[in-house]
Amino acid sequence: MTNVPQSAILAEEAEPKPGPGSQVTATTRPSWRNLNFGPRMWVALTIIFLIVLMAEVGPFVYPYKSSLKVGSLYDEPSAAHLLGTDNFGHDIIAVLMNSTRNSLLNGLLAGTLAVFIGVLIGILAGYVGGWFEELLMGITNIVVAIPSIVVLILISMSLQHTNVGFLKGIGGLALVIGITSWPWTARAVRAQASSVATREHIDIAKLSGAGTPSILIRDVLPYLASYVVMAWVLQLASAILAESTLSMLGLGPSGTDSLGIELHWALAFQAVSTGAWWAFLPPTIILTLISFSLLYLQSSLDEVFNPRLRRGKKKNLAKAAARRAETARKLAQQNEKVEVLS
Amino acid sequence: MSDSVFSTPSRRSLFKLGGVVAGGVALAACSSKTASTGGASGSGAKGSLPGIGNNGQVGKGRAQNADTLFIAGFQWGPPTTYNPFSPTAAWPASNNVMQIVYETLLRWNILTGEVMPGLAKSYKVDGTSTVTLTMQDGITFNDGSPCTAKDAAFSFNIGKTNAGVTVASFFQAADSIDATDDKTLVIKVNQTKKNVGQVLRLLTESYIVPQKVFSAVAADKLATEIMTNPVGTGPFKVDTADQTQVVLKRNDSYWGKTFYGGLPVMNTIIHPIFKGNEDANLQFANGGLDIAQTFQSQIWKTWEAGKPTGTYLKSKPYYIPGSMPMLVFNCTKPGLKNPVVRRAIATAIDYASISDTAMSGYSGTVQPSLILPTGAEGKFFNQSDATANGWKYDKAAAEKLLTDAGAKKGSDGIYVLDGVRLGPWKIITPTGWTDWNASCEIIASSCKAIGIDVATNFPQQAEVTQAIQGGNFDLGHWYVAGVNPASPWARFKDVLSQAEMKPVGSTAFANYGRWTNPDVEALLTAAAQAADDTAKKAAYDKLDALYRKEIPMCPTMYRPDEFYEYSALNFYNWPDEKNTYAPPMFRGAGNTWMYKIKKIAG
Repeated sequence: MTNVPQSAILAEEAEPKPGPGSQVTATTRPSWRNLNFGPRMWVALTIIFLIVLMAEVGPFVYPYKSSLKVGSLYDEPSAAHLLGTDNFGHDIIAVLMNSTRNSLLNGLLAGTLAVFIGVLIGILAGYVGGWFEELLMGITNIVVAIPSIVVLILISMSLQHTNVGFLKGIGGLALVIGITSWPWTARAVRAQASSVATREHIDIAKLSGAGTPSILIRDVLPYLASYVVMAWVLQLASAILAESTLSMLGLGPSGTDSLGIELHWALAFQAVSTGAWWAFLPPTIILTLISFSLLYLQSSLDEVFNPRLRRGKKKNLAKAAARRAETARKLAQQNEKVEVLS
Repeated sequence: MSDSVFSTPSRRSLFKLGGVVAGGVALAACSSKTASTGGASGSGAKGSLPGIGNNGQVGKGRAQNADTLFIAGFQWGPPTTYNPFSPTAAWPASNNVMQIVYETLLRWNILTGEVMPGLAKSYKVDGTSTVTLTMQDGITFNDGSPCTAKDAAFSFNIGKTNAGVTVASFFQAADSIDATDDKTLVIKVNQTKKNVGQVLRLLTESYIVPQKVFSAVAADKLATEIMTNPVGTGPFKVDTADQTQVVLKRNDSYWGKTFYGGLPVMNTIIHPIFKGNEDANLQFANGGLDIAQTFQSQIWKTWEAGKPTGTYLKSKPYYIPGSMPMLVFNCTKPGLKNPVVRRAIATAIDYASISDTAMSGYSGTVQPSLILPTGAEGKFFNQSDATANGWKYDKAAAEKLLTDAGAKKGSDGIYVLDGVRLGPWKIITPTGWTDWNASCEIIASSCKAIGIDVATNFPQQAEVTQAIQGGNFDLGHWYVAGVNPASPWARFKDVLSQAEMKPVGSTAFANYGRWTNPDVEALLTAAAQAADDTAKKAAYDKLDALYRKEIPMCPTMYRPDEFYEYSALNFYNWPDEKNTYAPPMFRGAGNTWMYKIKKIAG
């Protein structure tokens, strides 16, 4: 793949190739469409949109609150409560909507924090280099070597004793997850920042008198933006799963709904053996859909940012291949003419 | 981080996630299938037999191991010792669990409140000064040696020199226990306390051990001595034991053949060791256990699915109430010191939700009293006073109590009373105590609903025990004395005792919340010394009235003393409400069913 001429790739990105008479069409096409979102991206975005809609809008329109006791222990699905009730007699759909909201919020906070710490450490290490890089990467490697689940469990247990409002809620758990899941982002960002730091535009920025913070923000970070966005999407998914893991172990925040806490109570009240599938299957499916859609989104973004990974219909791929061949042929012809003239 | 949760997800993750969904669907399908068809095989309707499944079903018996009783709910880890004085003694040597290897002098019946003969064939109480017991004839230990009154006296006197063993508490209620001959025991009741009920209680709970075996153990090793071959008077001996099961074999030379009218029906008892309730309950539902002592959420689903399973009561609450889990207020904490706040919390708790959901419907309506309104204690319960001066779930009334006392709601929705914000407080109970944990969640949300900031915290059991006993907690969900020959006095003592109260930081075994009152100790003494039921009721009325005024603890639900659930797959004639020859117990008089159940096949 690396021997494909750059011009050929550019030609592919401009697909459909504008013909002599299509100049007007090409210029009026919205710029976002040039990003070439594939069908996978649309599937992922649709699922995410529906889940966010359910979590953010659902509680306002659904007739039952998640804290309202509407039935008994594991009432079966009925017309009034389509997914039955949980072990507290709460409507499963109401709890599910609230849980999803909290899990997404947790993922957003934890994922953003992890990416922030990871990018900060990675970019500093990669750009500054030398002993500072060794020190930061040394710390990162130490953190990588410690089993994260152990650290998470220990910090979560100690958080349960706190009376600080923010820490004892979903925010505390997000904080714990965020500060334990940044290392792999830091390592990847360092590698990229290290590469960018050797480019000519950085020298120009230095010669023009720009300070290190300015260079990092204006001249290094934009080159890492695509990776940072993808890392953030992955961190969201990881954080949501980590919260579920901890909550399922009974280390979740008190008095809050979350997908993991739902699973914890379903296990504790033997929902599997009593056949109360409605207690554990909905949160499992929502968790799966969230992770699936985020991973799918990340994979799709990868294709947008990296044209060499782009895929499409066979027909389009064949056309693109033909265009590349044609471009290559024309280039070869031009080269031949140049050689003849010279 | 090295954990896969935090590694970069790949496309393989998608397949894994797909697997989770498929697995979940499969589990749901399996559980539904089990529920609908699992009970069909091996059972048929034989409604005329006594003590069978709640659905009238009875099994066809096991082709193999028909003479074996499978039991669970007592041993959850590999057995280490059968020394009954060890705090980690394995089943069935652990204190007051079952009369299988070791036996007690007297046996308690939770249904009737009766103290029944055990190793002692009779007992006589002389006012409040002495208790005299006469031993049964021909008692022998399972090694063939005779068991006399001297062994019995030794078994108690061991607590005089070893304050660390459970039986040491006997000498808080009694001054001495002596064997006047091989068959007679005389106990002198402590004349300060004159608490005969407490003496009788310990006679029903303390095992009799052979003097020749335990006198050879150094005093300081008594609680730590490892014993793999227990020598007791019971009808079974430990045969084999490992990390998977404990196997007991019948002692065919058992002394009690005449007393109980024969040997136990089964010749082998096997206690499989499960990791937790979930595994045990699954095995029970599938007919792998004959009897169990585990909390089973929605147990009715087992007989609704056609299994020949049963409980003592045929309708809710299915179990006989025997204990009263308490919400313990730490009365040394600002805010909780105030009885108005404690009463507001007691009024705010949604007891019906606790019973209906957390307790799976196994609890009756909780009364504002330290006396169980049913069973052996029912005769002491004063319903009219409880109704007039007690509390019941009423959110508006709870908030009114606070506002009437001058509390103002802060901007965060939490009340402030006399300059003290009501919370943040933690309510603690051990992790894994499923119904207790769920109750705490309901209590916390009930408190939040009226503007009191309470959150839950479920540490390990050892940590909770230390915190509760040491007084280092805000709110605790903990237990006090259940039904026994000394109750409800023992419960009043556990909740209100000033004599047993210790400063914060020291270990207390009663009055964990460090509630103080100058009058209660005299009332407790009067109740302990009351000669008859009328005098006792009058004393308990006074104590309960004081309790309702102060509320240092608040009952949250009624639990069975022991969960008793059986399967009529291999045996029938289990005790139940229609077949009342024995109480639904494992300890005390519960051993009666071992001699009376009947094998279905063979």
